[in-house]
Amino acid sequence: MTKSAILLESVTKYYDLYTRALNSVSLAISEGDWVSIIGPSGSGKTTLLNIMSGLDTASSGTIRVNETDITGLGQNMLTRFRRENIGLIFQQYHLIPYLTALENVMVAQYFQGTVDKEAARVGLENVGLGHRIEHRPSQLSGGEQQRVCIARALINKPNILLADEPTGNLDLKNGEIVMEIIRKLVNEGHTVVIVTHNMDIAKQSRRIIEMVDGKISADSTPILTASVSARMEHRP
Amino acid sequence: MATSVEEALSFTKNIKLCLENDARCEPTNVNILIKLVKLYNYDKSLRAGKMFLRIVSKSLSKRRSRVAIAMVAVLMGAAMASGLLTVSSGMQDKLGKEFRKFGSNILVVPKSDRIEVGFPGISFGSVTEGQDVVLAGTYFDKTFPDLVTNGEVWRTGIRKIAPYWNVEGSWIEDNNDDQSAIAGISVAEKLNLRLGDYIALSYQNPENKNVSSERLKVVGTLNTGGSEDSQIFVALPNAQKISGRLGMVHSVQVSALCVECPAELIGAEIEKKLPYTQAKTVKQLVRAETLIMDQLGQMMLLITIVALAASGIGVMTTTMTTVMERRKEIGLMKSIGAENLKIASIFLTESVIIGFGGGVLGYFLGNILAQYMAESVFHAPISLVLYILPVTVGVSLAVTVLASLLPVRRATRIEPAIVLRGE
Ligand SMILES: Nc1ncnc2c1ncn2[C@@H]1O[C@H](COP(=O)(O)OP(=O)(O)O)[C@@H](O)[C@H]1O
Ligand SMILES: [Mg+2]
Repeated sequence: MTKSAILLESVTKYYDLYTRALNSVSLAISEGDWVSIIGPSGSGKTTLLNIMSGLDTASSGTIRVNETDITGLGQNMLTRFRRENIGLIFQQYHLIPYLTALENVMVAQYFQGTVDKEAARVGLENVGLGHRIEHRPSQLSGGEQQRVCIARALINKPNILLADEPTGNLDLKNGEIVMEIIRKLVNEGHTVVIVTHNMDIAKQSRRIIEMVDGKISADSTPILTASVSARMEHRP
Repeated sequence: MATSVEEALSFTKNIKLCLENDARCEPTNVNILIKLVKLYNYDKSLRAGKMFLRIVSKSLSKRRSRVAIAMVAVLMGAAMASGLLTVSSGMQDKLGKEFRKFGSNILVVPKSDRIEVGFPGISFGSVTEGQDVVLAGTYFDKTFPDLVTNGEVWRTGIRKIAPYWNVEGSWIEDNNDDQSAIAGISVAEKLNLRLGDYIALSYQNPENKNVSSERLKVVGTLNTGGSEDSQIFVALPNAQKISGRLGMVHSVQVSALCVECPAELIGAEIEKKLPYTQAKTVKQLVRAETLIMDQLGQMMLLITIVALAASGIGVMTTTMTTVMERRKEIGLMKSIGAENLKIASIFLTESVIIGFGGGVLGYFLGNILAQYMAESVFHAPISLVLYILPVTVGVSLAVTVLASLLPVRRATRIEPAIVLRGE
């Protein structure tokens, strides 16, 4: 059996007494796998991703990432763990507005402890932005900003990549550019988890997890999903 | 740098790890390796430092108006602090001089009181015609050609020591004038004297009972509101001549100005220099002086503290607003790997820059303020005091950093998860 990059056991998350965003979720994601998380809005997808990345903590249950139990770690420890192990991509390509593309990537290096301008430049080249490194976020298109985010997420060489609706704000063409980069990362051996609304994107992955009401309601491979929907379409 | 780092790294490949006592080990190589590795770390921290400064400077220049507001808040407090400090350092000296206008603060008298030439400051009762009146001899304005201080010939006399004396008519200009007298206003009223009138004086020597008479012209009348009003003033040699006590004085008035030391010390010094004398400090005046100085000092301190507290609150609210505005950015920094210390260091460095800038600018504004105050209160410029610059900057830094602690704490408590929320 392959090693688990992410392992959740009975993870429950209460935001407050009445809001249970996750209800005893258990989930193992293998190293090098490509997983999509789908489900209606408010079903707990973002919460799940936050807990996997250590951005947020669970109310109960255990979380292991890269064979390390991160369940009880404090904020600073989680931060240190995250910057070495997990790259994050957000829907609203969050960049620091007053820094250039290159500096936005270098900031992640700085927080990690090693500033290497050349490596940052190469990182931007790898996402096709070698010619726009001195531009500020406001001077970049949405797709370009998202690619800066990806370069930043990858700069400290994490093996896990978590993305919350990375193409949600992008047009088809830019969405496809981003997905192209993600496919390349999967092929390089990264473990990738994407939250998405877009079934076309979900179908490209190797595993689809559907969330409903804080629980995993379906866990399938896209081949099966595709055949099921195909059958539906042929029904009179 | 880069080449030496690469050299260092390629060098490591050629070195076999060996124990210190191992014959195969070449310690020099190991030493070189350690040196180059240190160099590498230095290079690394240098680049990290550059990145840090870039983050801070760009984030500051992005929010110029907020930074300006915070800096103005610091500047106000700093200006108040440095202004009042400058004024109070100059004030003691200036105020001391002001006090000296109210007369002498030390009286030098013989240890045994045998001579009774009248002297100003002591009341001998009211004046009626035919009654005894105190005849006081004094220097009004005397130069001492042998005594030169600060390139100027030393001058003293009543006109220097008691500038508040209000004389109508004229002063006695010549110290050897034995024809003129200045009458206290009460004496002048009782005897119905007018300027230019003559008065007849008779003096009985208490020892040999000889009576001497003198005719003097009233050249001026004197109004001080004090005991001097019921006395008659002549030049000192004249009084000595009338009383037959050549070269003798009853008392010496001293107007001592010393910023750092109490008048008592000067009195003691005089007693040491002039044997058989007693130097009495005019207690009331001295006490009033120190009291006013102390109270003024306390008031200035209070104003300074209030002003600095106001700056602190100004800085705190702007910093707090900034932190709230930058919540997403802070969350983002945390989500991409910034520990609380790094977040805090960014905000605190911004505060230090604001505090430093505000402090330096405040020092100069404070000086302008001090000049203005000195000009309007003392009618004299005040000298620039350099040590107040570091004091002002230090205080401003302390205030800004202190005022930033709460907002920075708030910043470190921001949850990184907010970045992923679609708010
Ligand atoms: N910070 C929060 N405080 C309180 N409730 C929250 C918070 N974040 C999310 N929730 C609630 O938790 C549930 C799951 O939210 P979320 O994980 O964002 O869902 P999704 O990403 O699938 O849309 C929702 O009911 C949402 O309202
Ligand atoms: Mg969501």
